[in-house]
Amino acid sequence: MAANFWTSSHYKQLLDPEDVDVVHQMDKDRGITLEDFKLIKLHMANYIARLAQHVKVRQRVVATAITYMRRVYVRRSMTDCDPRLVAPTCLYLASKAEESTVQARLLVFYIKKLYSDEKFRYEIKEILEMEMKVLEALNYYLVVFHPYRALSHSEIVMIDLIIFHYFSICCIQSNGSLKMMIFFYYSTVVLNRGLVNDTYKMDLILIHPPHLIALACIYIASAQMDKENTAWFEELRVDMNVVKNIAMEILDFYDNHKLITDDKVNAAMMKLAR
Amino acid sequence: MAEVDQFLSKKVADRYLKREVLGEGTYGVVYKAIDTKTGQTVAIKKIRLGKQKEGVNFTALREIKLLKELKDPNIIELTEAFPHKGNLHLVFEFMETDLEAVIRDRNIVLSPADIKSYIHMTLKGLAFCHRKWVLHRDMKPNNLLIGPNGQLKLADFGLARLFGSPDRRFTHQVFARWYRAPELLFGAKQYGSGVDVWAAACIFAELLLRRPFLQGNSDIDQLGKIFAAFGTPKPSQWPDLVHLPDYVEYQYVPAQPMRTLFPMASDDTLDLLSKMFTYDPKARISAQQALEHRYFSSIPLATEPALLPRPPPKRESVNSKVPDFNPGDGPTVLSPPRKQRRVMPHREGFDLNAQQMDEHGNENRQTAAGEKSGQAPMSLDFSVFGMRPPTRPTMNSADKSHLKRKLDLEFQLPEED
Repeated sequence: MAANFWTSSHYKQLLDPEDVDVVHQMDKDRGITLEDFKLIKLHMANYIARLAQHVKVRQRVVATAITYMRRVYVRRSMTDCDPRLVAPTCLYLASKAEESTVQARLLVFYIKKLYSDEKFRYEIKEILEMEMKVLEALNYYLVVFHPYRALSHSEIVMIDLIIFHYFSICCIQSNGSLKMMIFFYYSTVVLNRGLVNDTYKMDLILIHPPHLIALACIYIASAQMDKENTAWFEELRVDMNVVKNIAMEILDFYDNHKLITDDKVNAAMMKLAR
Repeated sequence: MAEVDQFLSKKVADRYLKREVLGEGTYGVVYKAIDTKTGQTVAIKKIRLGKQKEGVNFTALREIKLLKELKDPNIIELTEAFPHKGNLHLVFEFMETDLEAVIRDRNIVLSPADIKSYIHMTLKGLAFCHRKWVLHRDMKPNNLLIGPNGQLKLADFGLARLFGSPDRRFTHQVFARWYRAPELLFGAKQYGSGVDVWAAACIFAELLLRRPFLQGNSDIDQLGKIFAAFGTPKPSQWPDLVHLPDYVEYQYVPAQPMRTLFPMASDDTLDLLSKMFTYDPKARISAQQALEHRYFSSIPLATEPALLPRPPPKRESVNSKVPDFNPGDGPTVLSPPRKQRRVMPHREGFDLNAQQMDEHGNENRQTAAGEKSGQAPMSLDFSVFGMRPPTRPTMNSADKSHLKRKLDLEFQLPEED
């Protein structure tokens, strides 16, 4: 059925970690290390999420915006495209692409309200110019799949197409034990939601298919809740090694995240001149 | 190429040799160009960014987003996008004409096999979109473009969007009225691929009748026309009907037999048509199921696209400085033009007609072929009554203001530079 993810541009564009973790030469010249690079992207993901709270857009738009931002820095250097401009531009573009447009002037208004730092202040004109550059860097591919889903009414209603795909695999594989799975889902859904949001603090969305990221989140959540789920996972036609690796990566990130201080972030941001 | 070069004023992005303007859309100009890399003719849409302060046009962005995902022989190909002098340019494969031009050209005889071929390609393109979870939402004959080999392709994805999130509410103000499904006319906000199938059925009927099938002049009248043909829906036919937001009860009218509506059509044709015109969207046949219907496997088999009748080549454009690159081509109806303000290359000799159209209070959206048939503009049915065929409605201004509220940006009037 919903085989669309496998023919989508998103799937075709998935990258190897080695291709994502590349600091552009121009950025290296400014002393930006791989750690700084990741830190700045994390900081910008948080910036996008913060801005999005004020302009009130759906979580999906935030996820798409962060994905755009991360994709931009696979192709462009931070010297070339200032993250402090790219971040709001990606949110602006994602809001249009996800059909819940936010006006550029509203973004500019909130940026000024949130940040007193001159370096964050950009005008509408600059956002619109950057929009064109971002589009080019994305090679005009705008459809992004996310590991979100929603359950409502008595039937399954998927916010995201990929989850539909994932569910159809489940249904085929587990001979209709759908009700059990829905129960399982309900019990972990709240916890998952936070987990899924956190995956955007990493480059996972550039590297792995979203349903595997979702599964990794379920894996972690169910482990934390001490649910016995080996059989459930075994019934899925997915490579559990990949899922476990993603889960490990997420857990590693949580460990490292504790060590991130404002000072480290500021030091990395300082290397970006304007 | 040297011969051509001397006529050329501009090269765009070092690759495309700009030729004549083909038309003007809601968000920019469409012009013909030669791709110097491949020698092929292309259509380039230049998207005005202007002073709107809202960056890349929302409609254009939708089209880019979806067409980048949709690569199929029956869907218009977006080959490239690039910025140039601050404007975004979209490069499409060049299409010669559209289905509306074919339907309206009275010199063209469409055999049952030809009709089968056109509707087959339409449904194939549509089934592909739906497989990719894309609703087209603006299916009508002049959005079905026809390429040099007779290939029919769906174009104009400016109203299209991803579905597959059933809890999302969409606007029901989509489609030109004559192609709008009954659930949309009753204000449904949650709908699916059935809306495109209904429109495809209208196109199917139009191919058979050679005139638009259900020509309502308001939304209420449109439903009246639908019911006059297929009867007022009974609760057993469409249980969810009474729950639709704009539901109003209509006086009972009985259905006419399909045979009366389409006297010349075969039994298979009528069977497929009635399945596509099913009231309940849940029971309506899908595009994919329609393709599997016996109509397509029964005799006569669909005509090869290359052998399909098409409007004859139109005479050389008066203002064109460049000799036609592909002599023998059909009228240049472009890829994919916005209807409302389509430029008419040979306005001379058509002004009278155009004026009358304006008096009609409708937007003038004749295609090149439509103009040509200025010598004999009426379809058979209308000539019987001594009437001119009413101009096709696109979205009316009320619809637009509604959409504008919905989309905020979409129908802002472009500021004149």
